[in-house]
Amino acid sequence: MSTAIITGASRGLGLALAHALAHRGWRLVLDARGAADLRRAAVDLERITDITAIPGDVSNDWHREALAAAAGERLDLLVNNASLLGPSPQPQLGDYPLGEFERVYAVNVLAPLALTQVALPLMPVGACVLNVTSDAAVEPYPGWGGYGSSKAALEQLSVILGAERPDLRVYAVDPGDMRTRMHQDAFPTEDISDRPLPEESVPGLLELIGADLPSGRYQARSLPVVHSG
Amino acid sequence: MSALAFELPPALEATAPAEERGLDRDGVRMLVADASDGAIFHARFFELPDLLAAGDLVVVNVSATLAAAIPGRRADGARVLIHVATRAPDLDEPWRVVELRSSDGSQPARGTIGERIALPGLHGRLTLVARYASSTRLLLARFDGLGTVEELLEYHGEPIRYGYVSRQWPLAAYQNVYATTPGSAEMPSAGRPFTPRLIAALVARGIAVAPVVLHAGVSSPERHEPPFPEQYDVPAATARLVNGTRRAGARVIAVGTTVVRALETVARPDGTVAAGAGWTGLVIDAGYGVHAVDGLITGWHEPEASHLRMLAAVAGGSLLEGSYRAALRHGYLWHEFGDSHLILR
Repeated sequence: MSTAIITGASRGLGLALAHALAHRGWRLVLDARGAADLRRAAVDLERITDITAIPGDVSNDWHREALAAAAGERLDLLVNNASLLGPSPQPQLGDYPLGEFERVYAVNVLAPLALTQVALPLMPVGACVLNVTSDAAVEPYPGWGGYGSSKAALEQLSVILGAERPDLRVYAVDPGDMRTRMHQDAFPTEDISDRPLPEESVPGLLELIGADLPSGRYQARSLPVVHSG
Repeated sequence: MSALAFELPPALEATAPAEERGLDRDGVRMLVADASDGAIFHARFFELPDLLAAGDLVVVNVSATLAAAIPGRRADGARVLIHVATRAPDLDEPWRVVELRSSDGSQPARGTIGERIALPGLHGRLTLVARYASSTRLLLARFDGLGTVEELLEYHGEPIRYGYVSRQWPLAAYQNVYATTPGSAEMPSAGRPFTPRLIAALVARGIAVAPVVLHAGVSSPERHEPPFPEQYDVPAATARLVNGTRRAGARVIAVGTTVVRALETVARPDGTVAAGAGWTGLVIDAGYGVHAVDGLITGWHEPEASHLRMLAAVAGGSLLEGSYRAALRHGYLWHEFGDSHLILR
């Protein structure tokens, strides 16, 4: 039985991916900040597979240690999906509160690296690190300076880790625009009901997890490769 | 056989750039048709300097090709490809003329007025607002989301590609060596065989090269519509060179139908040209004639393409018919990655 850690698994893309992997027989260690939402997600998933749900904040050391410990001796997949948008509406860089900026980087850059560090000793040859990013990492969208630049850092962490660890598959994946809580926070006044559900990005993620594509940057909705790293 | 209604054998469709066929860009074939004596003969493109004379002027279109095909998603989840054709006269930044295609680009797709199509990234959506001019295929659309249309194309676009092209080639394959001003939805491909070496050889022979800009729209080969308005710019220096060349009795050679359209737009009845910039809706056929060009370098066009009517204006109908018959018989390759055709008047 393969084991995966998925952060930010109580809603949106993380939850959709957890369901897809559960149906494919994966054992899952799930994380989310909201204990009640995570509990609800876990109750559904426990009917399908072996679930360990640990509420907490990925930017805390003890929480990350708990996730790695729950994975056991072997981890086949780490999905760094939890992220922080920052203030809503998002401030321009000229006015961006630096405390908030640090917090965005703590969750979106430092925490995935720290969790990867505790996970690496558990990962066999061919195991997969999947870092969820955004096209805001690449494009100069006004107002996306905090979140976008943090995702750019995460993408670069991903491709460098991929170069350092040719025995692993390390992917930065842009899931595309989705109808999620985070997306609504990013566009607080807009009707986003015409956006695709996160489930539509899951086949692309499964393709990355299951196939033997080279480490690099991918777009979930237009696999194969955008840029291999 | 009428040159304007022939059957193009699939084997004569260029599916890949010349470089992929083991040639340099200037190694493609060039059929030369000379209206002064009716001669038709075969050459390679790199022989161009020997086919022109010192004092002749070669006018090129320096419009660069955009990655103008972007993926979209309809309300029912169906994928669609959006070909972003041109800006729209008198309308500002978020407006563009677009054509919808099947998700692989091979077929035209229908769009409904008022329909909204989700765009990639955080670029929001495209609203189809109205039919464009009299077209059955082009729509006036508004882009509504983060970032500019240029950024949308830069980060998510691919070059427009029709069914005969075997796979997606990089944008660089669709740029002429002298392309400097982005704005064409499809490559002004008559200039594709030019190389820095060839331009140096032209200069060394005393043949001048001058720029114009004409941002080419979409051709969508399935529908035989006349060309729609396009943005052009004929700089004052180029207009002076054109006028000086013709006053001296030398020839002005247009590289591409886009250059003919730009120069004829600013041509006076006496054949002199003025500098000018703006939108042109000029449609050139044998009835209109050409006034400011003495020769044309062009590719091989689809049967029924409106380009052929312009070519007839340059070459005359019977020479053009002879050229096309010879090109078919000798296996010349068609379309943007194909062989070349030099018509001298």
